[in-house]
Amino acid sequence: MRSAIIGACGMLGLGGATAEATEVKTAILGYTEPDRVTAIEAIVDGQHAFDNGKIFNFRLVYDALTGASATGAAPSSLAQTFTRPSGEGSYRVAPGETPLDDTFRDTRMALSAGLTMPLNRVTNFSFGLYGSGEYDYVSLGANTALTRDFNQKNTTVALRGAFFSDSISPEGGRPVPFTAMPDEGIEKAQLSGDGSKTVMDLGVGLTQVLNRSTVVHLNYTYSDVNDYQTDPFKMLSVVDPVTGDPRGADAYLYENRPDARTKHVLFGRVAKHLGRDIVHLSYRYFTDNWGIDSHTFDLTYRWNFGGGKYLKPHLRYSDQGAADFHRSFLVDGEALPEHASADYRLGDMQALTYGLTHGRIVGDGHELTVRLEYYVQSGDSHPAEAIGVLQNYDLFPTVDALIFQVGYTFDLME
Amino acid sequence: MKVARQRDHWQGQFKAMASPCEILVDVEQEAEARLLCEAAEAEARRIEQKFSRYRDDNVVHALNHGAGQPVTVDDETADLLDFAHRCHEISGGRFDVTSGVLRRIWKFDGSDAIPSRKQAKALLPLVGWPQIKWDRPKVTVPPGMEIDLGGLGKEYAVDRVATLLADRAVAPVLVNFGGDLRAVGRRPGNGNWQVGVELPGVVDSAGLKLDLGVGALATSGDARRFLLRDGIRYPHILNPRTAWPVMKAPRSVTVLGDTCTEAGLLATLAMLQGADAESFLADQGVKNWVIR
Repeated sequence: MRSAIIGACGMLGLGGATAEATEVKTAILGYTEPDRVTAIEAIVDGQHAFDNGKIFNFRLVYDALTGASATGAAPSSLAQTFTRPSGEGSYRVAPGETPLDDTFRDTRMALSAGLTMPLNRVTNFSFGLYGSGEYDYVSLGANTALTRDFNQKNTTVALRGAFFSDSISPEGGRPVPFTAMPDEGIEKAQLSGDGSKTVMDLGVGLTQVLNRSTVVHLNYTYSDVNDYQTDPFKMLSVVDPVTGDPRGADAYLYENRPDARTKHVLFGRVAKHLGRDIVHLSYRYFTDNWGIDSHTFDLTYRWNFGGGKYLKPHLRYSDQGAADFHRSFLVDGEALPEHASADYRLGDMQALTYGLTHGRIVGDGHELTVRLEYYVQSGDSHPAEAIGVLQNYDLFPTVDALIFQVGYTFDLME
Repeated sequence: MKVARQRDHWQGQFKAMASPCEILVDVEQEAEARLLCEAAEAEARRIEQKFSRYRDDNVVHALNHGAGQPVTVDDETADLLDFAHRCHEISGGRFDVTSGVLRRIWKFDGSDAIPSRKQAKALLPLVGWPQIKWDRPKVTVPPGMEIDLGGLGKEYAVDRVATLLADRAVAPVLVNFGGDLRAVGRRPGNGNWQVGVELPGVVDSAGLKLDLGVGALATSGDARRFLLRDGIRYPHILNPRTAWPVMKAPRSVTVLGDTCTEAGLLATLAMLQGADAESFLADQGVKNWVIR
């Protein structure tokens, strides 16, 4: 009953929960792109606040993905045959269809844990470790942060750093960039060893309370990624300069991305209380030395009904400009560029998300949330550079996805 | 308002809510301490005036004199009514903000004035939260019934004042209204607050010496308030479902919790358990002191 009472007291906004307390958030998320990927994700997020002000947190995520994913090859007026990444087996794609590799199947387990501790009344220090593993990918990381309050806690400045080391050992090996996809049963030209990359993030953040109802948060993150960043499963079609169909031999080349990437992210968010409701508006600007830049706007309105019940509509819009080396295809007879990828995620695109979350208090003061979101992403389906038959096909098919999440948050009492 | 320097903090004292009130703040300057203590007193008086049942110019009066018509209430009152509704639900009807009408027949003045069972029964139709029509922000109180938020008022005021001061001062604060208290903000370097708590009316009570970091303490029950007839003691705690005292209730229950409101509610619910108060508290996993 105590947790129900604490939950009820929470309705009065009287603070508390400063003594020892453990809160556990669990969620199951389903993500489905019709005809493409389906993912199920289970999340357990725990936090324990110790009596001495330290906070321990951990997070466990398990994903299972299945389905088909775009290979980067262009559609064609001819039926196309692709060798599976393992080199064993092949699949056919009908004329006019976007080539999708339907063997996409993976499970991922990620675990992170961290500790935040007060150094004095206004300064907190935290550090954490991260590890994730899937069939062909391992990522290990560490992070740290220092936050300090100023101006009677109306201003908080944070410095953050993180380092990750990732390695990939894909099924069938890592193809030598720009070599051709071999026929079934023939080994592809491979890079030796595992692919690895390192990520270093440095960030600085500022949170400012403007008045009783408004809080502004600004954040800048610099990120430096080095070494193997090519997707070993992605390729580009080399098409005939007149017909637009794949050339006769060696028609599919494995992609090649630069091995150094520097990213800058600027993020700003305003939270405003309107009576009992809360509106969050955020803007994110992303730019990197691959030539990608994107603008993302996110708006949520939490409509509180009292008694812990709320509805939260969500709208998100983003507009991304393509990487310099993004190509829908390569043209036979033209010199190879230094780098190229047909991965749609590096292309020009706009994405819209519409969502609605409902939350309520159930049973012993636990919170139940249900979220439903629809995501739609589109780009230039008929780029000006399309040649021959490619002018007839959708070179950037719209991807839409449905996301459904059920979350349950509860407290553990001794 | 008296503000005095103690060994490693400032102490402000005033009277409100029929209790001695004490504010301890861990700031350097007297001027700052005084401002905080004045803000504390102003907030305590605001809550007292707004929710006191002894006034005719506040929201509680308006609710109880609505003649069966809906009354629209402000957000703070609405939050308290939502809270009262939730507490009624959690406690299986034991906690009921409409039970104040029982004071018409029960006056715990140490006398032997025990009402008859018939009198008690006659009042029962006027007690029961489910009869209140609560459709936020509109509340309709049927004629003859009463809502009394006084049972929550002092603990709520302690929490409000403590969070208000902690936000404003960015310094550790302890708020103590007649033994119901709350500490917010750890005291780096200075250790915990050392507080003494009187347990009202407990004979030979040396009080409670407490070493409190962050948290809250609340007491339910007052051993000075009872009725006595034919050697039977009728304690001050009433069961809203029978309109009769909870006969085996302890003299007082003190609970340590995260917020004063939480501690107060647990203490009251424990009292309502009568003979089972101790086992109820053991189930909640809270530190407590029960005096029989």
